[in-house]
Amino acid sequence: MLEEIKEKLKAEFGLDSEGYDTNMLLVVCEKNRLRDVVKFLKSNGFNYPHTVSVVDYTPKGEGFQVNYILENVLDKKFVMVRVNLPEDDLTVPTVSDIFPPLQPHEREAWEMFGVEFIGNPRLEVMILPEWAEGWFPLRKSYDFKKHRKPSKEKK
Amino acid sequence: MGNSISMAGYTFVVEEKKEISGEDLGLLQEKLLQLNWGVQHPASGPMRLKVWVDGDEVVKVDPDIGYVLRLLEKLVEYRTWINAIVNVERACFIDNFGTMTGYSIAAEKIAGVKVPKKADYVRTILCEGGRIVSHLIGLGSFIGVLGVHTPMQWALIAREKFLDAFEVYSGQRIATASIIPGGVRYEPTGKFIEKMVTAVDFLEKEFIPRYGEVFIDNPTLKLRSRGIGVVSREKAIDLGLAGPALRASGVASDMRKDYPYAAYGELDFRVVTKEEGDAYARYLVIWEELIESAKIIRQAIEGLPEGEWRTKFPVKVPPGEAYVNVEWARGCFGFHLVSDGGTGPYRLKMRAPSFANLWAMPEMMKNVKLADVPVIFASLYMCHGDIDR
Repeated sequence: MLEEIKEKLKAEFGLDSEGYDTNMLLVVCEKNRLRDVVKFLKSNGFNYPHTVSVVDYTPKGEGFQVNYILENVLDKKFVMVRVNLPEDDLTVPTVSDIFPPLQPHEREAWEMFGVEFIGNPRLEVMILPEWAEGWFPLRKSYDFKKHRKPSKEKK
Repeated sequence: MGNSISMAGYTFVVEEKKEISGEDLGLLQEKLLQLNWGVQHPASGPMRLKVWVDGDEVVKVDPDIGYVLRLLEKLVEYRTWINAIVNVERACFIDNFGTMTGYSIAAEKIAGVKVPKKADYVRTILCEGGRIVSHLIGLGSFIGVLGVHTPMQWALIAREKFLDAFEVYSGQRIATASIIPGGVRYEPTGKFIEKMVTAVDFLEKEFIPRYGEVFIDNPTLKLRSRGIGVVSREKAIDLGLAGPALRASGVASDMRKDYPYAAYGELDFRVVTKEEGDAYARYLVIWEELIESAKIIRQAIEGLPEGEWRTKFPVKVPPGEAYVNVEWARGCFGFHLVSDGGTGPYRLKMRAPSFANLWAMPEMMKNVKLADVPVIFASLYMCHGDIDR
């Protein structure tokens, strides 16, 4: 099943994919082809999206990584689609119209990391309080101490 | 001042005028109102639903969450590999074993550590204990939102027995911190097994027959929850529902069966599915899973092997990453764990099933009656700690 998808991805997009785990395939693609790849995967049975997971590699000088995790609930297989973003251009086209359940996941990734999903209808703060918009607390550069409330003794 | 509605603590915001065939039908039917369901509502928990109603009919629902945000994904980055379990288990403390198991399996995958067989069995016993504890609260609170609070009390009595077993095992009743990368933290003593058997005995011999007689085949409950919030099979996948809600729509997705972890591959159990996809089907899925879990615990106790219950887990883990799913009480919980070769996780993304269910809810609540909002909400079986993390 995964071998088949692997060959199809190679034939359709010329993308190399590798085994991530048993039952899981990893596809690294450019962001301008992301929507096509995701659409292709959806039409091939990967119709249950799990999440959007962003990893901040800026301390290592590698920018950000956006991972889309999709599952095929009938054949019990996973695909992870990975997009690498440079630090100075944190934009990626949305897939929330292809997979509506991913819309809140993109929204969360935006408020926690500042990755802008172009075309997402609702990029507003969700879990954070309104006054914390733009703090991007899950970035590695976020400084906990700077935002800590001073304790009573130290005043 | 004389308005009884505002005195009861509700706020109405007039949203927009709506013409209804030129007739003056009074304030409630003339305008779209925004109603706040929560934060202090007894059934909502620490979250708010903004409900726009047209008379008695719900037009739109928008959840307002974030009241229990602890930023666990960030806190984990400041911990060592073993310490991180205290943050992971607090995703939702009711079933804390499932989340700890998932995190531990992910960490073991990156480190290449193989867990002893006994640890796998103890994990299975604890995970199923956690599932029972969580499902008992789920059953109780489902009828609780309909206004009957007796079942919750019955469920809590059965739950206490399991908490006693957890206490004997780890010293804690709720946040046990008992499953770590490399195995489980404590030896499963005879006393723990004894307590667990007592709890399962009570559940199977006292709770299940009595509760099943009164609150399962209950005509009033059926009247109230059948045909409410119906989701078809295709729609359930489209909406991205998770866990019992997905299985109640006929999709047999259960991580324990699909991608066996711990000792589930060696045990015999059934994936509960229902075809109806309404609130009552979701309630029945929780109920039947409870019965299945009791059977799994009995099998796991019977097959508990001898030997070590933990192995050494390295202080520094080589760079790598893993995505692991476990079937948690409320659905499949995903852990995307990244290591950069340090002494703790570099990044942990938790994919929470309640978060998925929550954002599927506004679609399910379109054009239902206002009185059905709590029924659908409770049938989706969500945990707030898990939504906000």
